[in-house]
Amino acid sequence: MNITPGGVAAAEWTKFSSLRSTWITTAISVFLLVAFGMIASASFSGDGMTSIDLALSGTSLAALSVGVLGALLGASEYTTGMIRATLAAVPRRLPVLWSKSLVAGSAAFVTMTAGAFAAFAAGSAVLNDKVTGLGLGDDGVLRALLGAGLYLGLVAVLGVALGVLVRSSAGAIAILAGLLLIVPGLAALLPDSISEAITPYLPSNAGSAVMALTQADGTLAPWAGLAVFAGYVVVTLAAAAYRLKKTDA
Amino acid sequence: MVPGYQRRPESADCGTTIPAWREPSVVSMIQVREVTKRYGAKTVVDHLSFTAKPGQVTGFLGPNGAGKSTTMRMIVGLDAPTSGDVLVNGKPYASSKAPLREIGALLEAKAAHPGRTAVSHLLALARTHGISRSRVDEVLGLVGLSDVAHKRVGAFSLGMGQRLGIAATLLGDPAVVMLDEPVNGLDPEGVLWVRNLLTGLAAEGRTVMLSSHLMSEVSLIADHLVIIGRGKLLADTTVADFVTAEGVRVVTPAPDALRTTIAGPGVTVTSTGAEELLVAGTSARKIGLAAAARGIPLFELTPQNASLEEAFMDLTRHAVEYEASR
Repeated sequence: MNITPGGVAAAEWTKFSSLRSTWITTAISVFLLVAFGMIASASFSGDGMTSIDLALSGTSLAALSVGVLGALLGASEYTTGMIRATLAAVPRRLPVLWSKSLVAGSAAFVTMTAGAFAAFAAGSAVLNDKVTGLGLGDDGVLRALLGAGLYLGLVAVLGVALGVLVRSSAGAIAILAGLLLIVPGLAALLPDSISEAITPYLPSNAGSAVMALTQADGTLAPWAGLAVFAGYVVVTLAAAAYRLKKTDA
Repeated sequence: MVPGYQRRPESADCGTTIPAWREPSVVSMIQVREVTKRYGAKTVVDHLSFTAKPGQVTGFLGPNGAGKSTTMRMIVGLDAPTSGDVLVNGKPYASSKAPLREIGALLEAKAAHPGRTAVSHLLALARTHGISRSRVDEVLGLVGLSDVAHKRVGAFSLGMGQRLGIAATLLGDPAVVMLDEPVNGLDPEGVLWVRNLLTGLAAEGRTVMLSSHLMSEVSLIADHLVIIGRGKLLADTTVADFVTAEGVRVVTPAPDALRTTIAGPGVTVTSTGAEELLVAGTSARKIGLAAAARGIPLFELTPQNASLEEAFMDLTRHAVEYEASR
């Protein structure tokens, strides 16, 4: 009858799974991943475009969607007042953040990995004839699909951390969208020398590196890229943990 | 395994048995010790000390903005005191291995996600402590929400929200129950129900504390009163003492003779009319005996049980934070 880490994780799973919005957002994320993968596979071609690139072209939209899911999970504690009940039950506080991250991250990883495989299968089925088809056994294909799931799982954790950090749904979603979608565009406006140096390290670019079949110029190596993205997530989580622990709820 | 909280059918033996849910050696109480809370330059709670003891209902009173909610938030560690400390059952709340067993706190009705059902909300809290699903159903039954257990909280009325909040406080079968304005939004039947529930919990040996800005709500159930205004302690007393503190009205044809007769340390006499005196600091019995011994006739000798409400208003008059202009 004592408080346990497993208990707190089970509680966070209950919170996560008992909201209709969780299932809707997750379904939308998978749909975006598969639908955009199919559309791109059927109609696009270009220099160096592989069937994996096409199949995973929905990743950036799916990232936004799972990130929003995480952000809502984190921020809604504050916007609904639930945080008072939550922290009265778990006064040490930090286990709540770790459990929330674990639940959102693993749920997104599992569903998005499945979505990536589905997108690849569906995309391969409708692939246009200008692009060479690939199989799961080809070099880097499994890594790219699994990497997409890992990246999206980390994005969900980033969302949770931002939600707990800023305590507002709108604020957390705005920051998330800014980091993933707007920052890369802004970096392109910088002088070339600076832009080329920092672009590979921007969150979405670093995270996407793991999904590239071959390492292009000006990008990080697959696992190095994912590690850089994980670094952003860890820093944000640390900031969220600090605020959660140190300030009045 | 914790035996579930049962409402007792009869209260005849209340308080005479040691509750099975608690080791008799464990202290169940709330101790607030020299607590101060400042937000910037504003001091919301100012060197406040009091104790809520087991087996009784402690009413926590004060005008709006007196610092009641802030104090209660500090008791469960939601806010950290600027200085001083709070002990729940003899230790800081955060150090407890099973916080929901120590204290069940209702801080505001709206502390649930509107998209979740009542069952899911309670289950999410229960799972942190490994509390069973059957206990969740049990507390839902206790507060009368079984029928709407699978309805979303967003559709609940204020009163239903309060009941859900009270259900959450009972989940861990806690030694201390603390409620912030629990009867807000409840209908008369609900108010009566809360009253019976809280006195029942106290009779089982638990510490019960509830806040209110209305004396009339609290006076019917509280044994002990802690009254604050602008964050400062104004009174820490029993309900009985708080009422009798007003004094005794005496009507006599010889007020000056009576004055000298009953004068003594701690006794204050105020003249309220040609033949009327208001005497504080002694009892009607002593005044009567003293007057008889000196042969002073008395026409009237009335303990002034000014209503609790009046006494409360009187006490907090100078500590009202937001006052309507007159």
